[in-house]
Amino acid sequence: MRGGACLDFARMSALQNPARGRAGGFADWIGAAAQRRRTVTEAFVDTFAAWGYEYLATPLVEPLDTVAAGVGGGLQAQLFRFMDADGSLLALVGERTVSVARVVSTQLQGAQPPLRLCYAGPVLFNRPPLGGRRREAMQAGCELIGHAGLAADAECIAVAAAALERAGVTGVQIDVGHADFVPSLLDSANLDAASRERVAGALRGRDLVAVEEALRGTEAGDAERELLLAFPTLRGGREILDTAGTRIGDPRPRRVLADLAELWEVLGRHGITANVHLDLGAVRDWDYYTGPTFELFSADLGFPLGAGGRYDRLLAAFGTDAPATGFVLHVDRCCDALLRGSGENGKVDALRLGYSPGRAGEAQALAARLRQAGVAVALDLEPAIGNRGEPVVDGAARLDDDGALLWRYRGEEGSGVEALLAARTEGAR
Amino acid sequence: MSGGLRLALPGGALFEDACRLLSDAGVADIDAGRFDRQLRIATPTATVVKVRPTDVPVYVEMGACDAGIVGKDILWESPRDCYELVDLRFGACRLVLAAPQGSQLAEGRFPQSLRAATKYPIAARRFFDSLGLAVELIKLHGSVELAPAMGLADCVVDITATGRTLTANHLVEVAEAGRSTARLISNRASLKTRSEAVNQLAAALRRTVMAAATPVSGTSGPAASEPALRASALPDGDPGTSR
Repeated sequence: MRGGACLDFARMSALQNPARGRAGGFADWIGAAAQRRRTVTEAFVDTFAAWGYEYLATPLVEPLDTVAAGVGGGLQAQLFRFMDADGSLLALVGERTVSVARVVSTQLQGAQPPLRLCYAGPVLFNRPPLGGRRREAMQAGCELIGHAGLAADAECIAVAAAALERAGVTGVQIDVGHADFVPSLLDSANLDAASRERVAGALRGRDLVAVEEALRGTEAGDAERELLLAFPTLRGGREILDTAGTRIGDPRPRRVLADLAELWEVLGRHGITANVHLDLGAVRDWDYYTGPTFELFSADLGFPLGAGGRYDRLLAAFGTDAPATGFVLHVDRCCDALLRGSGENGKVDALRLGYSPGRAGEAQALAARLRQAGVAVALDLEPAIGNRGEPVVDGAARLDDDGALLWRYRGEEGSGVEALLAARTEGAR
Repeated sequence: MSGGLRLALPGGALFEDACRLLSDAGVADIDAGRFDRQLRIATPTATVVKVRPTDVPVYVEMGACDAGIVGKDILWESPRDCYELVDLRFGACRLVLAAPQGSQLAEGRFPQSLRAATKYPIAARRFFDSLGLAVELIKLHGSVELAPAMGLADCVVDITATGRTLTANHLVEVAEAGRSTARLISNRASLKTRSEAVNQLAAALRRTVMAAATPVSGTSGPAASEPALRASALPDGDPGTSR
């Protein structure tokens, strides 16, 4: 399979068989792609662990009632739903924060805050196929529960950035916003309830044209109107907080600006402000998020690599009133970004070890020794006859009749096990 | 790729106006005629592709293009996760409920059960729901006006610019269900990772559109000076209407 990227079409079509179909929007991960997906997931979870986040695994299935307590109708409509034996409804999870919140409110009830928890696993969406969007995706994320301060928000942003860096995703841009900025602006804009809902709906739909239409003929103040209309451009470094601050008099949006200024300070101490943009017009799920929010982007991809924010109301839905913040990273999109960024398709490099007749035991012992030293070895299942004197191909080694070990590994060529181990160390550096 | 934005333009009725707008705004000097033989043209400032109107939101949402121009009517039917940045004002048309002349519905009385033929099931559903009417929708792919005459449906929900096609098929407008003009849409990530370029594009197009607009009150109504979406361009064969 590896190395043979091209399939024999004539042979494939001769074997027409409907049993070989695969559901739309789902993927098999094979060879280098599968390897990359695994190493990216591991890099994320290792980073989370390095920051003190405890790994937990939650089920792929949750009762629909549990899901409904945490996520809005929009996401619920996108879930695979089915019936349990007793007739109650179940769903395949489309995100895992709700599951973590359920665990925190049940098994982990009474644990000393703050709780640092992380997870990695697949999520599923029952979107119509053919849209080019995945219906199964790997997600890894963190939840920091029981701390209401901006230090917790900043830590989440820093962990997410560190995880992407460790996985080798470069050119990441972090957009930091605040879930209360636009709603507080709407509340201070002197709109009647119906207009407010129209403007909020248009902002939620990312439809600037409709925002303009909805604001026309309302009593909205000039500063608020201008800020709401400029929402995609309310973006930049620390300075935009001052720019926006000069135009706003109402205390609530001003408090948001002060929060973001403080958050910027803490992010500076984490050393990541170079990649951070403050985005006052960030359009996020305002019913769910309650404080700072963020999204991670790569120039190589049209979708966010990850997203997060403060969600102080969710735990209450499960009977535990605790502030919380967290984020999720989309492993598959990160893999896409890695592939597009480097164009390199990676390589699975296990060393193939062949041997002459009568040398099977020796070869087995050698393979064990190499594996112990960290070299992946695929040992031939049968001895090779009559290939003496031929050169070995890259990624292969051969134990000859006379007991000599010839190898080519990571572009180097040599003989003897010591030299091979040295080459491995070189390559790893 | 970083040399310029990647823009998707809709083939069909909006295409020439879209090309002209990009040229007038100084975004990309392109001539609609050049797309006769190729679908992708790279200029020093932008790479422009011509795709079917319904495919514009797909290219933009998936990040294959940073931004695109598309009719609002297309966005009704393919809700995609994009930013809608500017009303470009050309390609104005209306979505209307129309019924055969002399029918109950044409006189403003809604029968208890109603079948409506449409190419716009999502927009039509939203319209009827907002009125609280239970209507059975029949999705067609073209020549919707024919459906009442052949007994397939009691009425139609369809796009009209001049009303000529409706009249020619003995249909009268009962109510307006929506108004459409061309829009500038952008990919979510492009608005962040290429924000300067995308915001400049939006500003340039907005300026050009505003400068061209005669002082007509309201923005979304069809202005007389605009080359209205021709009714004759609607039947089958036009890339804009076959889905």
